[in-house]
Amino acid sequence: MYSSLVRLQNTFGFFTTVIFVVAAFIAVSDVVTPREPVVATLKTNQVQVVRGRPHYYSSKKEEYAVIKFSLDADLSSLFTWNTKQVFVYVTAEWPSSSAAKIAGNVTENQAVIWDTIITAPSSDHLANLGPAARKKLLKSAAGKAIDPSRGKLSIKNQKPKYQITHPSGKIAETDDVVLKLHYNVQPWVGMLTWNQDIDMFRWKKLKNGMSKKFALPAIKKKVEAKKTTAGTGK
Amino acid sequence: MLSSLGNPRQAAAQLMNFGLILSTAFMMWKGLSVMTDSPSPIVVVLSGSMEPAFQRGDLLLLWNRNIASETNVGEVVVYNVKDKDIPIVHRVVRKFGVGPDAKLLTKGDNNSADDTELYARGQDYLVRKDIIGSVVGYIPFVGYVTIMLSEHPWLKTVMLGIMGLVVVLQRE
Amino acid sequence: MAEQLLDKVRDVAEGQIDFEGQKLAELLANVALTLVGIIAFAVGYLLQDIKLAVYIALGGTALTFLIVTPPWSFFNRNPVKWLPVGGPPQPPANIVVNEKSLR
Repeated sequence: MYSSLVRLQNTFGFFTTVIFVVAAFIAVSDVVTPREPVVATLKTNQVQVVRGRPHYYSSKKEEYAVIKFSLDADLSSLFTWNTKQVFVYVTAEWPSSSAAKIAGNVTENQAVIWDTIITAPSSDHLANLGPAARKKLLKSAAGKAIDPSRGKLSIKNQKPKYQITHPSGKIAETDDVVLKLHYNVQPWVGMLTWNQDIDMFRWKKLKNGMSKKFALPAIKKKVEAKKTTAGTGK
Repeated sequence: MLSSLGNPRQAAAQLMNFGLILSTAFMMWKGLSVMTDSPSPIVVVLSGSMEPAFQRGDLLLLWNRNIASETNVGEVVVYNVKDKDIPIVHRVVRKFGVGPDAKLLTKGDNNSADDTELYARGQDYLVRKDIIGSVVGYIPFVGYVTIMLSEHPWLKTVMLGIMGLVVVLQRE
Repeated sequence: MAEQLLDKVRDVAEGQIDFEGQKLAELLANVALTLVGIIAFAVGYLLQDIKLAVYIALGGTALTFLIVTPPWSFFNRNPVKWLPVGGPPQPPANIVVNEKSLR
């Protein structure tokens, strides 16, 4: 510690130690904060299967399921000071075929049909939004360090973001499909966490996060398909 | 430093010390690699395709063992595309089937389209062995130095200059 | 001339402090940084504001560097009292170093 350079080095060394210890404490503070996520409703509104191509230049025709749904959920307890964002996603899940199921070989299929990123006020400046939407978001958080009210989701008759298919190209008339709500909490520092199926210490499992079983219908007849796409002008 | 050259025992001790530091770092890296079953258990984020979750320069800790359950939809995974050397960090959005042959599709949170375009020619899905780990831990910003140094080479010159200045201004 | 100038610059850059000052500097750095860490965590947790915690930590650290790094006069209050050149009588000779006696 006799010269300025040595003092600078030693102080910096201790600074890194302190920062890592504080970061570890911040990460651990998540574990002692209770989480009680609840889903009030998760149900399908309208389910249809249409024919389409994977992309414009493809000649392959595949069947796509379009699942409209409604969601009411309270995820506000996930928003603490260490929450950077919560990634909320709805999946459709179904067993491969009834034959495989009987054989005890339940082959699960999972596909995300809708997702959203809920940023915390501390990460609003990072959100991928247009200038107007960003301004609105920043305004909504003015003076707030955290904003758990953003975890209250109420979505009616939502169109899916992703139309899903199966590698075989066939998805019509599939039975036993369910929708499931999932979330992924992204911290500022520490472990990434997902929704749990069991209670863990102070974190409760996601209640009621699954819809009733439903079946995908047969492919929609052409006449009807035309009617729904008329709006796009094609 | 130079004066120690006269004393072979001291020089040898210094060499040993240097070797010890190097081998300790190497052992820790390889030990972590064995523990997580991942060839690269710590990665630095290089692209913004997972924003706002991960920024460039953030450090990710990976885990590549399926103890409680398989790699599932919603997990953020690091994968290598066949014949390409750049690992990519994206989220699994579809999974068809179970076991090592399950077909997985990934997408970056910040990208509008899924990763089919990034995969090798004729490859529509990933399989489990393409994945080198799922992200379990996150430390922000720490890896940014490496990005700065590789993107702004003049910073290396500046650093060398500062080191030279320190040497000039120091007395023996 | 240039040599003298370099020597002066070296003096300023080196920023020597005395032994008591070194002890004090080390203590100050450790206590200050630990306090900054504790305060940053406590304030951040109580107000649930991680940005504030980061600002406190960085600000406090900058302040610590400012206190500890330069050779402030309070680090030089106990200068070493060197013996005068050619001072008091030499102790009887034959100091043994590496089994060779020095004279």
